[in-house]
Amino acid sequence: MDLVIAPGDLVAAAGALMDARWGYLVAITGLDLGPDDGRLEVLYTFAGGAALLTLRVPVPRDDAKVPSLVSVIPSVSFYERELMEMFGVTVEGTPNPDKLFLPEDWPDGVYPLRKDFSMEQLNRQAEE
Amino acid sequence: MATEKFVIPIGPQHPALKEPGHFEFDVDGEVVKGASVRLGYVHRGIEKGAETRNYVQAAYLVERICGICSHVHATAFSLGVERLAGVEAPPRAQAIRQIVAELERIHSHMLWVGVAAHEAGFDTLFMYSWRDRETVMNLLEGITGNRVNYSANVLGGVKCDIGPEQAEMIRTGLAFLEERTQHYLEVVSTDAMFLRRTRGIGIMTRDDAERLGVVGPTARASGVPRDVRVDSPYLLYHEHPVELVTEEAGDLEARFKVRVRELFESYRVIRELLDALPEGDLTTRIPRRIKPAETISRVEAPRGELFYFIKSNGTDTAERVKVRTPTLPNMASVVVTSVGHQLADVPMILAGIDPCFSCNDRMTVVRRDGDKEVWTWEQLRQYGIECYR
Repeated sequence: MDLVIAPGDLVAAAGALMDARWGYLVAITGLDLGPDDGRLEVLYTFAGGAALLTLRVPVPRDDAKVPSLVSVIPSVSFYERELMEMFGVTVEGTPNPDKLFLPEDWPDGVYPLRKDFSMEQLNRQAEE
Repeated sequence: MATEKFVIPIGPQHPALKEPGHFEFDVDGEVVKGASVRLGYVHRGIEKGAETRNYVQAAYLVERICGICSHVHATAFSLGVERLAGVEAPPRAQAIRQIVAELERIHSHMLWVGVAAHEAGFDTLFMYSWRDRETVMNLLEGITGNRVNYSANVLGGVKCDIGPEQAEMIRTGLAFLEERTQHYLEVVSTDAMFLRRTRGIGIMTRDDAERLGVVGPTARASGVPRDVRVDSPYLLYHEHPVELVTEEAGDLEARFKVRVRELFESYRVIRELLDALPEGDLTTRIPRRIKPAETISRVEAPRGELFYFIKSNGTDTAERVKVRTPTLPNMASVVVTSVGHQLADVPMILAGIDPCFSCNDRMTVVRRDGDKEVWTWEQLRQYGIECYR
């Protein structure tokens, strides 16, 4: 099942699943729909047995923000850190915003899994 | 005293083990008070790489995400792409995929038993389990031609068959391994010295395990009945199921027992599959271009649930491939379970989740007053052994 929800409803939706003790958070997937579309999607996939539920949160590319789920799923930190550094989605209220996978000297504002990322962009930013 | 609190960075490099990672443990005297993790030292940008390669090339790429559980990555990817393309691999191919997947689990668990025993200073068990593991490596080589990165999968099926001769070879190998596994089970549940390093150490309660979202044997050792092979059967797991193996204790001993007991299930299901190997083709045709869609594919890797999300866009190349490996959620548990334990237990707790990446060449003991002493992982391991002598 795939539900599209607004960022503001995310914590309540995930909280309701946890309160009902339904399944667990399997993964947070970032999806860049490209500069032309102008949106990113953040997919929160939950699994309960064979059933899968995805909460799909569309956010604008130039102001990508989602709330942290740490208040309802304490172990979510790694997934949120990965989402932040790879897609440039700001996760508001996440306990540790440090990089998880990328090097410390990776330039700010360069998000490798966005569609317009290029090695030229990376090299240019790294030189500055 | 607060001034005696150390921050101990461990990692990132360790040439003898598999992969690097970096931990920082806050210790108060001997006791771990907090921990943090930094990963990415072997981040190769494979998700991005998969967006610029066609499905056939990407299948080879994802098989190389892991050198231990390579087959399971290729299986998850193939199952996802096949579902997007609306085709299904022939039954014989699915059976062979499942046989190779279970052989891979056997080799992975035996490797882990050896590594974990080594971290505890029990090198006899390490030597024996790795010697015996050669049997399963030879079986894999006999089937696929490769010891690792077997490349048994192609999109739409498998590229290697299992004939009567190979089936016999597998049965003989399994008979030997089963006997040895019985011995390992006895050792890990009765050896008094070994139990001092595992019983009651690194306890994760069922509530904690569920809260942390851990997967695989790490979850099952805490009594969480979670196994994709059982919960959401793929390949031929609905016709030839495996039984869920759980333990209640949630400590390191339980993690040993779960993995060793799972080996018996793998032996049984492989024999069952060999007896009932379906006749027919090994591959089915799969279109080169795949219409736009999304799919999720989950399989049970040796370390737990492996998650693939694949989005197609009408071309021969994926729009997005997302991989969530089982070590990521399990790693979060190390940060929690090591708190309150002796520093000497850290190597075992870390090894207990069977991290698909490993630790550390060098560890620096940083005193708050600025004194520095550099330890190697070997020294930390030795320290753990001495502490329990």
